[in-house]
Order: sequence, then structure tokens, then C-alpha cells
Amino acid sequence: MYAWIWRHLPGNAWVKALTSLVLVLGIVYLLFQYVFPWAEPLLPFNDVTVDNGMAVAR
Amino acid sequence: MRLLVRTLSELCLTVGLLTVLLVVYLLYWTGVRADGAMRGELDRLHRQWSAGPAAGRPDPGHDGSGDSASDAPGAEPGSNTRPSQSGSAGSRSVPAAQPPPPPSAYRSGAPFAVMYIPRLGAHWAKPVLQGTGTALLKKGLGHYPGTAPLGAVGNFAVAGHRRTYGDPFKDLPRLRPGDAVVLTDGTSWFTYRVDTPPYRTLPDDTTVLDPVPAEAGRTRPGRYLTLTTCDPEWGHSHRLIVWGHLDEVSPASGGKPKALPG
Repeated sequence: MYAWIWRHLPGNAWVKALTSLVLVLGIVYLLFQYVFPWAEPLLPFNDVTVDNGMAVAR
Repeated sequence: MRLLVRTLSELCLTVGLLTVLLVVYLLYWTGVRADGAMRGELDRLHRQWSAGPAAGRPDPGHDGSGDSASDAPGAEPGSNTRPSQSGSAGSRSVPAAQPPPPPSAYRSGAPFAVMYIPRLGAHWAKPVLQGTGTALLKKGLGHYPGTAPLGAVGNFAVAGHRRTYGDPFKDLPRLRPGDAVVLTDGTSWFTYRVDTPPYRTLPDDTTVLDPVPAEAGRTRPGRYLTLTTCDPEWGHSHRLIVWGHLDEVSPASGGKPKALPG
């Protein structure tokens, strides 16, 4: 999978390395900005109240 | 065959990396975000308070009870007219010269007080916001709508994260009877004293928020404090409750109360 991506990136090894770095940073940004905030309410760390407000959090 | 094994191992590697990243996000990044948000709320409060003494007070025109949690059972203080009579031994009565704020609601989602707990650290200071929604608790502690306002007869109840989002109540189990929980709304300092060791209960046990919480050993109305967070530290099977009562009220202009270091 990774070898396949590497082969399909344009340019010489340096350009490929740079492109990979940008890709990795972009994916990490997407994860932190969108994916993890979405996944977080599925984890139990948000339930700190003792009322029905919890039902919203779950 | 070789391609299959390689792809499979790369997938495993990817899943592992994702897990590590998620842990980094939860342990570190939510804390960074929450610390920034809490500082922002604290700045907002201090700006309000320096702009005018009345700016931080509850807005009487807005009842702020749009939160779904506002209909918590038993949270309506029905005995507001009784004088403060703390049931626990050794408690001093609240000076009559300092009337509590009117029981009007705070503006939903807005910060209205700062909480200090010296036991959790000399620099432990968190904003208290009105409401207990998920998004709100990322910016500070949340005051249960429908429970008493700060310093009033009834139960002033506050929820906070045990873990993630700045870990505000991580060390709540370290609180012991007699510990100070100090709050200010910009006009007064309210010094509450912890009465009970941390109490473990079930998530649907809303009676801990009652104006007279019986589980805390209360029998008479008083000016009480309730702090709630999750238990165990990383779970949600239970809740951890700390109760206290109002011990002292002093004007904000008179400087920090003696319960606070510095």
C-alpha cells in the first residue's frame, strides 16, 4: 500500500519525501480537526453529570 | 501471497498509528484546546468585572433555562425563605450583612464565576459556565441549570471533566472534609468548605443535586455546594460527588479570602 503510493508520487526521491510529509501532515490535521472530535463522544470521558443531560452526550 | 501479507501488515501498522494519534489527541490536544478556552473564559470574566461591577451579574431578562438539563427533578429550591442552617457540626453561620444574589438564572453558556480549590493546586482556577452541555464542558466547569445560584440557599451544583479537556476535576478524590472551595462572581468571594469525602454513586442519581441532599447527611435547608465528575477516572459507570456548605462570604473589594494562598 505504502510502496504503491510511493511509486505513484511524481518527481525524484526528495520531491516524493516532501509530498509524503505534506500528505501525512494533512491527514493528521483532518484527523485532529474532524475525525477525532466526531469519535470522541463515543468514548466514555464526556459523562460527568448526574442528570439527563447525559443522554445528549451519548 | 507476499503482497497480501505486506498489505495486511501495513494495515495493522496504520491502525496502530491511528490509535496512538487518538491517544495523543485525548491526552494532550484536548488539554491544549481546553486550557486555551478556559483562559479565554477567564479573560472574558475579568474584562466584564473590570468594565463594571454589575456586568457579570445574572441577566434578569433572560432565564437561561433552554438547556435540556434544566428540568432536573427536585432541583427547584422550594424552601428559599428559611434561614441558613447548616446541618454539619462546627459550621459558622453566614454573615447576614451579605445578602445572596437574587435567584435569577445566569445566562446560558456564559461564564459567571471563577472557582479556586487550593487543595488541587495554588494556581488551580477554572471558569464556571451556566449549563452542563458537552460543548460547554470543554470550556470550563458547568453549573447545573435549575440548581441554586452562587451563595444562595439551596444547592449550587457544578460538573467538570475528570479526564480530557484539561482534566479540571482529575484530583477531586483528593478533597477532604474542611478543604476550601472558593468562588467569586466579581462582587463577592464565597468560601465553601467540603463536608464529605468523595462519594461514589450511579449516573442517574439526581438526588445528589437536591436542595437538601439527603445522601450527604443533610436534614435542613442550607447554602450547599455539590461537585460532580465521572468515576472511575477513565470510565463512565459511576459519578464522584463532593458536597460542601457555604462558610464565609466577603466582598470582592476586600481582597482574597484567607482560604486562598497568596
